[in-house]
Amino acid sequence: MSRKKTKDLRRTMSRRGLLLSGGAVALTSILGARLFQLQVAENHRYRRLSDRNQFDLRIVAPTRGRLFDRKMRLLAGNAESFQLYITPLYVDDLQQTLAALGQIVDLTEMQIDEVFAAARKGPSFHDIIVRDDLSQRELARLAVRSPLLSGVSFGKSLRRIYPQGSLACHVTGYVSPVTAREIERNPALEKTPHLGTGKNGIEFVHERNLRGVPGRERIEVNAKGQPIRVLRDVGAMSGKDLQLSIDVGLQLHSAEILRRGQLKPVEMGSVEVQTALAKDSDLKAHIALGDSLILRDQKDRLVPPESGAVVVMDIHSGEIISLVSAPMFDPNLFTGRLLTRDWRRLNAHPRKPLLNRVTAGQYAPGSAFKMVVGLAALETGVISSTTEFTCSGDMRLGNSTFHCWRDGGHGVMNIISALEQSCDVFFYEIALKTGIRKIKNMAYRLGLGEVSGLGLPGEKQGIIPSHEWKLSKLGKVWTPGETVVSSIGQGYVLATPLQLAVMTARIANGMFAVTPTLVKSSDDTPPAFAPLNVDPGALAIIRKGMVKVMKGGLGTARKYDLEASFGGMAGKTGTVQVKRITKAQREEGIVSNIDRPWAERDHALFVGYAPVKRPSYAISVVVEHGGSGSSTAAPVARDILKKLMQEQV
Amino acid sequence: MTGLKILLRIPWHLLLFAGVLVMVGSLALYSASQGSWHPWAGRHAVRATIGMALVVGIAFVDFSFIKRMSYVFLAAAILLLLAVMIIGAGQGVSRWISLGGVNLQPSELTKIAVILALARYFGSQSHDRMRSFIWYLPSFAIIGIPFALIMKQPDLGTALMLLFGGLAVVFSAGLPWRYVFGSIAAVLAAVPLLWMQLHAYQKTRVMTFLNPESDLLGAGYQITQSKIALGSGGIFGKGFLMGSQSQLNYLPEKQTDFVFTMIGEEFGFAGNVFILLIYLLLTISILRISYRVKSRFAQLTCVGIGMMVFFYMFVNVAMVTGLLPVVGAPLPLISYGGTSMLTVFIGFGIVASAIVHDRRERAV
Repeated sequence: MSRKKTKDLRRTMSRRGLLLSGGAVALTSILGARLFQLQVAENHRYRRLSDRNQFDLRIVAPTRGRLFDRKMRLLAGNAESFQLYITPLYVDDLQQTLAALGQIVDLTEMQIDEVFAAARKGPSFHDIIVRDDLSQRELARLAVRSPLLSGVSFGKSLRRIYPQGSLACHVTGYVSPVTAREIERNPALEKTPHLGTGKNGIEFVHERNLRGVPGRERIEVNAKGQPIRVLRDVGAMSGKDLQLSIDVGLQLHSAEILRRGQLKPVEMGSVEVQTALAKDSDLKAHIALGDSLILRDQKDRLVPPESGAVVVMDIHSGEIISLVSAPMFDPNLFTGRLLTRDWRRLNAHPRKPLLNRVTAGQYAPGSAFKMVVGLAALETGVISSTTEFTCSGDMRLGNSTFHCWRDGGHGVMNIISALEQSCDVFFYEIALKTGIRKIKNMAYRLGLGEVSGLGLPGEKQGIIPSHEWKLSKLGKVWTPGETVVSSIGQGYVLATPLQLAVMTARIANGMFAVTPTLVKSSDDTPPAFAPLNVDPGALAIIRKGMVKVMKGGLGTARKYDLEASFGGMAGKTGTVQVKRITKAQREEGIVSNIDRPWAERDHALFVGYAPVKRPSYAISVVVEHGGSGSSTAAPVARDILKKLMQEQV
Repeated sequence: MTGLKILLRIPWHLLLFAGVLVMVGSLALYSASQGSWHPWAGRHAVRATIGMALVVGIAFVDFSFIKRMSYVFLAAAILLLLAVMIIGAGQGVSRWISLGGVNLQPSELTKIAVILALARYFGSQSHDRMRSFIWYLPSFAIIGIPFALIMKQPDLGTALMLLFGGLAVVFSAGLPWRYVFGSIAAVLAAVPLLWMQLHAYQKTRVMTFLNPESDLLGAGYQITQSKIALGSGGIFGKGFLMGSQSQLNYLPEKQTDFVFTMIGEEFGFAGNVFILLIYLLLTISILRISYRVKSRFAQLTCVGIGMMVFFYMFVNVAMVTGLLPVVGAPLPLISYGGTSMLTVFIGFGIVASAIVHDRRERAV
C-alpha cells in the first residue's frame, strides 16, 4: 500500500511540477507581452519622452540683485510675473491651440506670428513664451482651461521693476531682454533667454554682480508635457544687492525743481491744453511719453517742462546724492517686451530723453569756467587778489573787439569783484597774461577735459583746448583771440554737468581731488583721494569771489542766496550763447531770450556749493536754453540745496 | 564516490546559463558606471566566479547532511533576522548584518532555509497526512514566521518572493485543490490586515502602482522613468553605453533593482527577451532535475529552488515594467549585490548536491 501511495504522491508532484513549469512559461509570456507593449508598440511615445528628458534641463533664473538708494529705499526690484508657454512637441494642432488661447488671454496677431516663427525655428521640446505679464484674471481663466490644452503651461518668473518710475532712470539704467549681439559676445547668455541684461546705467556697469548665477533643474513631464516633478536642482545664486549714493527724496525735488523752473504748471485737462496739444507737436511728444507737466511761460505760452541736468555731490566722499537729466523716461518700459511704439516715441522725442545729460551732455561752461582762469592766474602769480583791470565794456585785440556782457562796462575790477559781477573783460586780460597752457593745466587738475571715473557708460570727456589740441584736431595754430574766448568758457571749451560739479567740489574741498561715485560706501570714512595740488591761498580767493556772487551787492545771483539759517551758499552763474551774435544784431539791439525760438536761447548754468563755512555739497545745474544763469539756473540750485539742507537738519 | 564522478554529475548547464547572465550583468554594470569596471562590473564578475566555485563546493557536500541540517538552517536564519532587527533598530530600514567584514542580508538566505525546511517537512509526511489540512499548518508556520520578520524590516520584495517560493513547495507537495483555492480566498481576505502592516512608503508605492495618476510627483517617479527608459529602447535598443536615461542618471538604482531597465534601454526588446528566456531555461532545467532526483526531499528542494529563481526574475521584471508595485527586488546574477547572487549560487549548489548524492529513500 505504501508503495502505491508513494507512487501516487509522486504522480501528484509530477503533475504539480508540470503545472508550475507551465505557470512559469505563462508568467514569462506575460512579461514578454508587457515588454512588447512598452518597447515595440509604444516605443515611439517613450522615445519622445526620453528625448525630452535629455533636453529638459531648465535653467532657473537667478534673482537679480536689487538697487537701493542711500536710505535703503528701493530703486530697482523684482516683481513676480506670470508667463504663458507653449511646447510644440505636445501640441496636437498649434493653430487650434493658439486660437483657443486667444479666447482665454489677450493675444495680438503679431504675438501669434512670433510663436509660429519660433516653433518653426527651434526644437519642438523648447518652450516658447506666448505671453508675458499675465493678469490675475487671465491667470484664473488659464488655471481652469489650460489643462484641456495639451502643451500649454504657465510659469512664474521675475520681472525687473523700477518702483520710482522715471525718477532715477539715468542712474539705474534699465534691464531689457538679451540681444543677439550680446549673445554673440557671451554665448552663456543664450541659456537664459528670459533673463534680461543691464543695458545702461548702474544696471549695465554692475551687471556681473547684480545678475547672479543661474541654477538648473531637470523637470520630469508627463506625456502631455505637463511638469510632474523637479528631478534635480542646482539652486540659483541671487545677484548681490547694491546700495547707491542717490537720495530718492532729493532726486524727486531736483527733478521737480529743474523741470518746473520759474514757470507755473497748467491744469492738464483744460480746453486750452487740448488745443495747444493739437497744434504743438513738441508738446505732444512730451505727453506721449507719459509726462503730465505742462508749463505756462512769461509770454503766456504753453511750453513743455525744462530740460537740463542737475548733479549734487558730496564734496568729501564724492558720492552723488542726486543726478537728474531731463527729460526722463520710464525704465519699466524696457523690462518686458518694449513696444515699437514706445521705442519710436523715445527716439523721435525732440529733446532725447535717453541721453544722460549729466555725463554725456557737453556744454560750453560759460562764466562757470572763470574760476579755472582765475585760479591759474593767481597760482602762477600773474595776478594777486588786489590786481586791478578796468572794464570799459569791451577789449580790443588786433582787429577784433571782445565785448563784455555788460554794455557800459564794470569799471575797475579785481578778481573777487570780477567773479561777483562776472566781468568778462577782466578775465580776457588775465587769460592773455596767463596763457592757455596754464589754464588747461588748471582745468585738468579740477577734473575737466577727462572722464570723471563715475563709470556710467557713454560718459563724455568734454574739451579743454590748447595749442596742441587745435593743431592736431583742426590743423591750425592757436590764436590769442581763442585764449580770450576760452577764458569765459566759450569757443571750443566743453564740459559735462558732472565735470562742473566735480570742479566745484574740488574748489570747495581744497585738499583732495575728489572723484564722483554712485555707490554708497559701506563705512563713513571718506575714501582716499589724491591731493588736489592747487595753491590753497588762490582757492580761498576764488571761494571768496563765489560767495560774493550770492551775497555781494552786485552779485549776479544775489537774489537767490540760500538763507543764512542753512549756512548760505557760494556759486557762479553761467550764460552760454548757442548762437553767435553778429555785429549787425548787436547794433540793432539783442533780441531778449524769451522772444527767440527755444533752440536759439542761451543755456543757463550754475555751479555752487553749500554751506559756505564748512562746505559739504557741490551742485551743478544746466537748464537747456533756459535764458540766463542768474535768473534761471541759480534759483534751481538754491531750491535744491535748500531741500537738501532741510533734510540734513 | 570519487571526485571525478561527482564533477561529472554536476549539472553544468545550470552554471552555463548562470555564466551567461553574469556576463550580461557585468556588461550592464560596466555601462551603468559610464563605461568602467569600477565600481561595480569588476567586483560583480569576481563574486560570480567565487559563487560558481561555491556551487562546485556544495556539490561535494553530502545531500543527507543538508537534509539533516535543514531545520537548523531555518532556526539560524530566523535568529539572524531577529539579530538584524535588534542591531538595526532605530535606523528605519535594517536588512544587513556584518559578519567578519562581509555584509549579509539574512532575508536572502532565509529563502533557501525555508525551502529546505519545507522540503524536509513534506518529505517525511505520509500520503494520508497530505490529504488533511491540519498537516499543512506547520508549513504555514515555516513560511509565516520569516515572512513576518522580513516584512518588519521592511523588505516587501524579499518577503513576497519567500512567500511565493514557499507556496510553490507547498503546492507541489500536493496541497489538495480545495485548499489551494481556500488559501487564495484566505490571502485575499487577509489583504486588509496585511495593508495595515505596511509602512507608509510601501502603502504609497502600492497606491501609486494602483493609481499612477495619484502621485506623479513622488513614488510614481521611478516607475515612470523606468518605463520611459525601457520603452525608448525599442526593439534593438540604443546601443551599448548609449542609453540616455541611464547614462544621464534619470534612472534610479540602475545598478541594482533597475538593471533590467538599463539593459532594455541599451539592448532593447531583444536583449530583454533573451534574459527572460535564459531565466526560463534555468527554471525549467531545475524543475526537470526534480523529476530525476529520487527522494521527495530532493524533489521538493529542487522545485522550491527552481521557483525561487523564477520568482526572483518575475518580481523584478514585473516591478520595473510597472506590472507590480516597486517593492525593491534585485535581478539575481545581473544586479549588483552579493547576497542575492550568493543565494542563487547556494541554491544551485544544493540542486547539484541533490543530483550528485541523491538516493532513493525508504518508503515511509
